[in-house]
Amino acid sequence: MTRAWLAAVAAALAVGLSVPPLRSLIEQSMSWHMVGQMPLLVAAGALAASTLPAKALPASWSSFNQFGLTGFMAAQGVIAYWMLPSVIDRAVVNPGFDVFKLLTLFASGMLLRGAFQRAPMALQLFFIGYWVSMMCWLGIYFAITDLRLCNAYSLDSQIATGWGLLTLGLLLGIVWLGNTWRQVVKKPAS
Amino acid sequence: MSADRPSRRTPELTAGDSRAQPAAHLASPAALAKTFAATTAVLIASLLVLLQATGGGQSFTTETLRRQHISQQAEQIPAFDVTLGNGQRTTLHALLAPGGKVWLVDFVYIRCQTLCLSLGSIYQQLQAQIEARGLQDQVGLLSISFDPAHDSPAALADYARRMSMNSRVWQIATLSNWQDRRRLLDAFGIMVLPAPLGEFEHNAALHVVTSNAMLTRIVDYADYKAALDLAATVVAAAPVASGNVSTSAP
Repeated sequence: MTRAWLAAVAAALAVGLSVPPLRSLIEQSMSWHMVGQMPLLVAAGALAASTLPAKALPASWSSFNQFGLTGFMAAQGVIAYWMLPSVIDRAVVNPGFDVFKLLTLFASGMLLRGAFQRAPMALQLFFIGYWVSMMCWLGIYFAITDLRLCNAYSLDSQIATGWGLLTLGLLLGIVWLGNTWRQVVKKPAS
Repeated sequence: MSADRPSRRTPELTAGDSRAQPAAHLASPAALAKTFAATTAVLIASLLVLLQATGGGQSFTTETLRRQHISQQAEQIPAFDVTLGNGQRTTLHALLAPGGKVWLVDFVYIRCQTLCLSLGSIYQQLQAQIEARGLQDQVGLLSISFDPAHDSPAALADYARRMSMNSRVWQIATLSNWQDRRRLLDAFGIMVLPAPLGEFEHNAALHVVTSNAMLTRIVDYADYKAALDLAATVVAAAPVASGNVSTSAP
């Protein structure tokens, strides 16, 4: 399957989860929402960006995004926002607001694709380290707290999501390390 | 299914195109300044949005946001037709109005076996304290059923007996029209989820409501003693307002 197809399938599935009949999955299960749909939206955005021609944006724009720093920061803002329990509740009860989620998370994936291409390893490590620790910390908190954080989801669903976030965070870290290691081994000169 | 997603996604994200890096090393001071300005602007915008979404960094859940919002700005509860345990039909406003009482309102469903039993006992303790402190004319307790399909007046009356409700202190009511259910829950900010064994899971708290149907505070069940003190204070602080209400009530 070509990359464009993969991007289209990922985007269709991610958006489909916000539309009936699949919408009931994210309405009833916090895991489908936070561990399924949200990362899938980011991934779909990143895949979509990778199919764009290199000169899709005017060259002058890149001077506002040296090392991908601005892209990282914007994606960081979007991801932090969608980790808030109150915001997750709102996306469940308010379909208009849910569209905002689809757009911003997809866009953050597109920004991340460009940011990772431009960023030196140290900067990548900074943001990856931040996200891995945020997802692990938040995951453990979701899993062990007695407080039901989302009015839209049961405590059981929240606990499952917590373990899912922890797994996702660890996987993200491992995959990034693996990729970086491969690059370093392949190109020791650079 | 979700487990294999990151492995698909991350090769895209971490492609770390080394061809792009030489260009990056050539970054001009002007471009760096532009990037610094853009990043700072994005950071400030993100922080403002996060502050706005969390009520100034204080509330991360819908429940705490709601409590914070209500404590800053009381909300009028709209009109509802309700039915009491003795079958009497009235309106919520008429039920709240007499005597300028302040009410502690909570939401129940009678089939509830788990949390509600402990909540019932909290209301029993509140009832005992109101009687002991002679607050019957100042503070009232009201439990509203959000399950009108099952909670008939007979079921309410049975529940009232089991809980040893003193009707001078503690009332229980259900909606006369089940179509009002969503409107009622929205008015108080309650979200009800179906749970196994025909039960419901819902955010639960004590709602301090004045006799003119203003929702003025939402207090955690754990702080029920503080909620009673608060209700007594509201009455003491606003005798004029409550006097107005009993005359203006329909």
